[in-house]
Amino acid sequence: MPPKQRGPSTVPSQTSTPAKSSTSAPAKSSKSTSSTDAQDIVRQVWNNYVKKTPQRVKLLDAFLGFLVVVAALQFFYCLIVGNFPFNAFLAGFSATVGQFVLTASLRIQTNPENKKEFESISHERAFADFVFGSLLLHFFCVNFIN
Amino acid sequence: MRWLFASLLLALLGAVQAISYTGGRLLVVLEEQSEREKYTAFFGDLESRGFHLTVESPKSESLSLFKHGARAYDHLLLLPAKSKGLGPALTANLLLDFMRSEGNILLALSSDHATPTAVQSLLLEVDIQIPSDKGALVVDHFNYDEKSAADKHDVLLLPFPQGLKTGVKNYFAGEGVIAVPKAVGQVLGNDSPLLAPVLRAPSTAYSYNPKDEADIVEEPFAVGGQLNLVSSLQAHNSARLTVLGSAEILQNAWFAEKATIKGKAVTTANRDFAAKVSEWTFKETGVLKVGKLVHYPDEGVSKKLNSSLAIPENNPKIYRIKSDVNFQVEVSEYSLTHLTPYKPAFGDHVQLEFSMLSPFQRLNLAPISQTANSTIFGVSFKTPDQHGIFNFRINYQRPFLTNVDEKRQVTVRHFAHDEWPRSWQISGAWVWIGGIWVTVAGWVAFVALWLWSKPAEGSLKKTQ
Repeated sequence: MPPKQRGPSTVPSQTSTPAKSSTSAPAKSSKSTSSTDAQDIVRQVWNNYVKKTPQRVKLLDAFLGFLVVVAALQFFYCLIVGNFPFNAFLAGFSATVGQFVLTASLRIQTNPENKKEFESISHERAFADFVFGSLLLHFFCVNFIN
Repeated sequence: MRWLFASLLLALLGAVQAISYTGGRLLVVLEEQSEREKYTAFFGDLESRGFHLTVESPKSESLSLFKHGARAYDHLLLLPAKSKGLGPALTANLLLDFMRSEGNILLALSSDHATPTAVQSLLLEVDIQIPSDKGALVVDHFNYDEKSAADKHDVLLLPFPQGLKTGVKNYFAGEGVIAVPKAVGQVLGNDSPLLAPVLRAPSTAYSYNPKDEADIVEEPFAVGGQLNLVSSLQAHNSARLTVLGSAEILQNAWFAEKATIKGKAVTTANRDFAAKVSEWTFKETGVLKVGKLVHYPDEGVSKKLNSSLAIPENNPKIYRIKSDVNFQVEVSEYSLTHLTPYKPAFGDHVQLEFSMLSPFQRLNLAPISQTANSTIFGVSFKTPDQHGIFNFRINYQRPFLTNVDEKRQVTVRHFAHDEWPRSWQISGAWVWIGGIWVTVAGWVAFVALWLWSKPAEGSLKKTQ
């Protein structure tokens, strides 16, 4: 069974790469044609992103965005109100930063575009690393905030 | 065993009956035995107070202040001698050594005799100046005895001394008049904090040598309040030296003599004054003793200091910064026959220093309670925000009181890991606690979605 699964799974990925190159060509052309309209460019980029990004990477990006928002909220709160229990600020802020770093590395390792570089690391292995690292990070942060 | 205890008890009783706090062996240096007659009342008083008198001539072969390297006597009374030297047993160095090993000296001067060179250098050493010429004496044309010194005005009649200043106990107070005949005035050096005047000359007195033929005294040695008739020195080791300007104060002839001052008949109270001066010099008064020093962390229960010596102090060795500490110390004052509760003079306080190199806290101690023979002083305070090796120190040095310097060393540590307040107890940390848990919750949701999304992607890939 596994060889069968692997066979078809490799095939669409190979097919997807030429498809990608073909789609990138019109994107460039559209850019050159209506470069003045910034809104158009943004919409184009967004559409491209929505269309071509695998669902898992989208999920990763959503999580990354969420982490950035949480980190920014904590940072501005610290700027406005003050850093009195400084260890608490460090713990809260570094939890988001650390989680961001871990998630970003998971995104790099599992992104189909980087497949060539991470041939030896399976997605399951990368995810397991991510979970282990995150748990460790949460433990340290909770411990540090006391 | 029983006889051993009995003998120990007897020895202790003997120690208790010795009247001075440091011992009762008193050496009286008197040149001529015939002079002894003049002092019988004073010697009698000393003996009745428990001193064991040894009267020796400075010329005596057997006279020695030290025996086998230790003090042979506890106290020394030096009475004026006719000869100029005091001999090899009483050089200035030996007298200083005697004080170094905590012997007390009562030194009586007289204008009738030249001051021996040994005494002169001793006084020079402790920064007490006396007139250099023989026969100089203190004269006062206002406070003299009209009966015995109607012409010469050299017998001063003075009230008992007032306290030195506020905050200093007066050990020489009394009722009546003191006759000070033919006194050698002393001037105290300004630099020495160890010197303290006991009896000052009145403002109208001056030092003068009757042998000067001049009618007017041009450059008197000293005048007025500068002149001291009785002065004292207490060394750092609490050894005491008292200089009596006139040995005649101690003589029978002036102990209860009829005198007249400004037309008023009075009786001199020299006996009382001589007793006061000798009591102080020979450590029967003004001796402080520190009993137990107890400190403990303040846990809401105040402990009672147990002054029994059978129970050790049991003080903790370590404290934490910014923690509450209670401190108690037991101070007694020896008063003639027994230890009494010490009461500082008005305006004076026993102080506690909590110090590492320099004091971080210097606090007045308040009397908390009293036992039969001690006052328990106490204070509670917070240890400073500084860790290190600290001392609980009582450094109490006051005129006329023996010096007290007691230390107990403790370690002050910083907060232990589990002694900080927990994060949720600090409301300011709630936002960041929230930050952490929102991140964790987001992560859990992400992991769930990831695991859930996997088959979807697989099916998507399969369909492709």
